[in-house]
Amino acid sequence: MSSSHEAAPSKAFLAEEVRRYHHFIVLALWLAVVTGAEIVLIYLPLPTAVIFTILTLMSAGKFFAVIMWFMHLIYDKRLLFWCFLAGLVLAFATFAAVLCLFSADRIDTRWFA
Amino acid sequence: MSDTAAAHEAPTSTGIDHKKLIMWLFLASDCMFFGTLISTHLLYRKLFPAGFTDAEGHQRFIQDLFSIELTSFSTFILLMSSFLMALAVSAMHKGQIKSFRRNVLGVIIFGLIFLGCQVFEFTHFYHKGLTIQNSVLGSTFYVLTGTHGTHVAIGVLWLILLYFYSFTGKLGGHMGALDVEVAGLYWHFVDIVWIIIFTAVYLVEYLGPYGIWGSGLPAVVK
Repeated sequence: MSSSHEAAPSKAFLAEEVRRYHHFIVLALWLAVVTGAEIVLIYLPLPTAVIFTILTLMSAGKFFAVIMWFMHLIYDKRLLFWCFLAGLVLAFATFAAVLCLFSADRIDTRWFA
Repeated sequence: MSDTAAAHEAPTSTGIDHKKLIMWLFLASDCMFFGTLISTHLLYRKLFPAGFTDAEGHQRFIQDLFSIELTSFSTFILLMSSFLMALAVSAMHKGQIKSFRRNVLGVIIFGLIFLGCQVFEFTHFYHKGLTIQNSVLGSTFYVLTGTHGTHVAIGVLWLILLYFYSFTGKLGGHMGALDVEVAGLYWHFVDIVWIIIFTAVYLVEYLGPYGIWGSGLPAVVK
């Protein structure tokens, strides 16, 4: 399927692609800055709970920024977002279930000795 | 959904190309897969905060092994590869095949650098005494990061094939752009999984003198 047989992209489409291109550059810079901030954060003399919470929020922010912009979810059909979110919710449910079912306080670690 | 997206709506019942829909469903299922691996690692880190015992019988902490510089470099490389992948997809949508090749070659090189860093890290850990068999920490760590590394290797292979396929002249038009977009989705997914692993597996080990799990250490070990 050669491109020569395809219709040329419209002006509106090209303008949209240029707009996205700028979004990608801004996002890449933002991701680099946040990653740098995460590394600095672990050396700051703050309570562990505070750092852990901020790290979790930063990580979640980077995660959703990539799926929304780089993976085009913000430009695509909503159905794709809900499909992926279903998997994500199940993943977190699995995480919660594992932690609840095998609570660290209730496991006899002698089994692993 | 934007007007541009609407203008390129696929002639399917959902309005979404089947390849793209299947890839998103696969990624959703892969989320559960990695969710299980990360949960298992975190649970066992909580249970066995003391790390592992090396070949000489010395108690070792994982903080002694980790190199934040190397892991940060790997993370940065993977994030920038994701950026280049987004540019490669954009170039294909605009029909700029040369720009696509340049960007995808960058992604392949960055992916190989990431894999090289992981091989170096695994080799270093192995020589320091952390093996997949000698501790629960080793088992969960190698399985989790190794599975991610395998995903990266598959992504690199896929992109190499796409790169050479682009020279045949068959990778063009809407279907060609769709093929590149689907490969791009996979690559971005590998990136977002690493974003979580970087925080949940690496960074938390630096919180406090013995990592976030240090509160569970017996006094004699401390």
